[in-house]
Amino acid sequence: MSGRDRILAKVRKAARDVPMPDRLKPTLAGTSGAAAVQQFIAQAEKVNATTSRIHSMDDLPQALAEELRNRNLPAAIRTGDDPAFDRDWGTVERTTGAGRVAEPATLTRAEMGMAETGSLIFASGPDNPVTLNFLGETHFAVVDAEDIVGGFEELWTKWRAAGRDPRTVNLVTGPSRSGDIGQVLQLGAHGPVALHIFVVGSPENG
Amino acid sequence: MKTATTPRFKQNAREALANPNIQAAMSTAGGGFSLKRRQARAAMPEFDDLRDLARDIKNHTLANLGDYLEAYEAQVTADGGQVHWAETAEDAQAIVLEICRKAGAKTVSKGKTMISEECGINDHLQAHGIEPVETDLGEYIVQKRGEVPSHIIAPAVHVTVPEVDELFRREHPQFPADRRLDHEAMQAEARAVLREKYFAAEVGITGANMLIAETGQSVIVTNEGNGDLTQSLARVHIVMASLEKIVPTLDDASTVLRVLARSATGQEASVYTTFSAGPRRAEDPDGPEEYHVVLLDNGRSGMLGTEFQDMLRCIRCGACMNHCPVYSAVGGHAYGWVYPGPMGAVLTPSLIGVETGGNLPNASTFCGRCEAVCPMRIPLPKMMRHWREREFERGLIPGAARYGLALWRWLAARPRAYRAITGGMNRVLSLLGRARGNMAWLPLARGWTDHRDMPAPEKGGSFQSQWAKR
Repeated sequence: MSGRDRILAKVRKAARDVPMPDRLKPTLAGTSGAAAVQQFIAQAEKVNATTSRIHSMDDLPQALAEELRNRNLPAAIRTGDDPAFDRDWGTVERTTGAGRVAEPATLTRAEMGMAETGSLIFASGPDNPVTLNFLGETHFAVVDAEDIVGGFEELWTKWRAAGRDPRTVNLVTGPSRSGDIGQVLQLGAHGPVALHIFVVGSPENG
Repeated sequence: MKTATTPRFKQNAREALANPNIQAAMSTAGGGFSLKRRQARAAMPEFDDLRDLARDIKNHTLANLGDYLEAYEAQVTADGGQVHWAETAEDAQAIVLEICRKAGAKTVSKGKTMISEECGINDHLQAHGIEPVETDLGEYIVQKRGEVPSHIIAPAVHVTVPEVDELFRREHPQFPADRRLDHEAMQAEARAVLREKYFAAEVGITGANMLIAETGQSVIVTNEGNGDLTQSLARVHIVMASLEKIVPTLDDASTVLRVLARSATGQEASVYTTFSAGPRRAEDPDGPEEYHVVLLDNGRSGMLGTEFQDMLRCIRCGACMNHCPVYSAVGGHAYGWVYPGPMGAVLTPSLIGVETGGNLPNASTFCGRCEAVCPMRIPLPKMMRHWREREFERGLIPGAARYGLALWRWLAARPRAYRAITGGMNRVLSLLGRARGNMAWLPLARGWTDHRDMPAPEKGGSFQSQWAKR
């Protein structure tokens, strides 16, 4: 008998009939449409993310250039191969690929947003390499307002329906932080020091 | 595995109480965690209902653990990963070492994992010429200090800021000696030092907050992002998790997430919640090429079906220790093994035996705050009582305590003698304390009077004599 079989035999010996409880959806997860977008923005800002709204993806290059300038960052961005980023970046130099040791600024596209906690949901892959969500000193993210849901319930329903199966699903809620030195919360631990979210369009646009 | 110093708990506690650094650090940490939890709870009207739900989900899962483990394993395998079953800590050590050797590992980066602490992975790797590098800021600090974590989510909670300052100046000689180190600078320094390590490591080890049977995903919940860099930049990713980390579906994981961060740090969500399934896909530009899960039993299957089964619901949030008056006074190291505080007091005897760990269930005032705040509603005081009974049954309690208990039992079962003796004691104490209203010294009670005065009894006799007059 292998260790696996011995462990399984032992845990099966204690098996009993205990039903699965009914689920519960909290009020915080109950918004949709424009209200969900508003809640998403409020929750994200509460955890030290910054946000701005742009009308469409066509406005992204200019909005990004302005953000980089305002933050005194070089006019350069690292992204993946996401077709959403195939556009004229003007004065901003765009390079593509996985994250490197030093990345002043990265840009990735979130598949979805979740109003309940102000979280962005990313799928790993060549379009948006997972390392770009963590190695950027400043992390820029875009999310379509249409893709912002109320809570986990809608998130997983839509996720399953879309048939996505990436290696990694990242829920990102604000920039990285740690309280490990003297129990004082300090932003910028090992992940990004700052997170800026561009919310694209609005759900009413249809 | 590290030798447990739990049998010396009393001595450890005395030393911790006399250690000014531990006392300063613990009083700084103080009420922060409990205040934040209280605020998070107030902001979520259904919080207590979600705790009930989380408890019930876990009870269902534990009752069907075999099926869920097999379903989980099948999913991991389908995604190209490998599940290794470890019956003991030694099995886990051997499995991890073998994977590291095959990967030709010289250094191993590590996200935060208490299972690795339980199995003594760092010492084992080091003994075989492989350097483990802890990357969680708190874990990094305790590793550099040659210590183990003193809290399950805040490993360096016992370390003061000046101690970190001194440590970084000693351990990071590459930076100017006269540099200014405030909070921000210290954190940036650790970030810069560790950034290189993620890229250098051949293997990255993380823990898992949950394993999802539906999808075969392991879930890590962190604030720093170190776990994600650990598992994304090394060529091989090893997940270390114990059996009871299984939840059936993504929806069940969501319920646990809703109570976890709020109970742990008072956050509505931790910064990074990451779901990982298998190695990188063919087209992926990053992520590990190999994905291994070490599934640890180490005594847990033996807890199923016993009065300690409820302990397997624990999601390691740390709320019980954050609210424990004993933990807050002595810190985590006094407990002498991997898991401190109330959850450690229950789990430790289960995992290393009541002979070694039996002291810990006695380290409680039974105030009940741990159970009151537990997101999984684990009846911690009740289980500590079960351990005390077992300790007594096995004759592990020292003679004086046994005779004292026997005497008490004799007295408590004889109402007339009880009334006569307690009434007499009441009168003596009233006389002794009449002048000051309290006593600074009492025969046979120095354990009490060394640290505080004993109040003199109220006028009017004992409770029973007052009751009798009604």
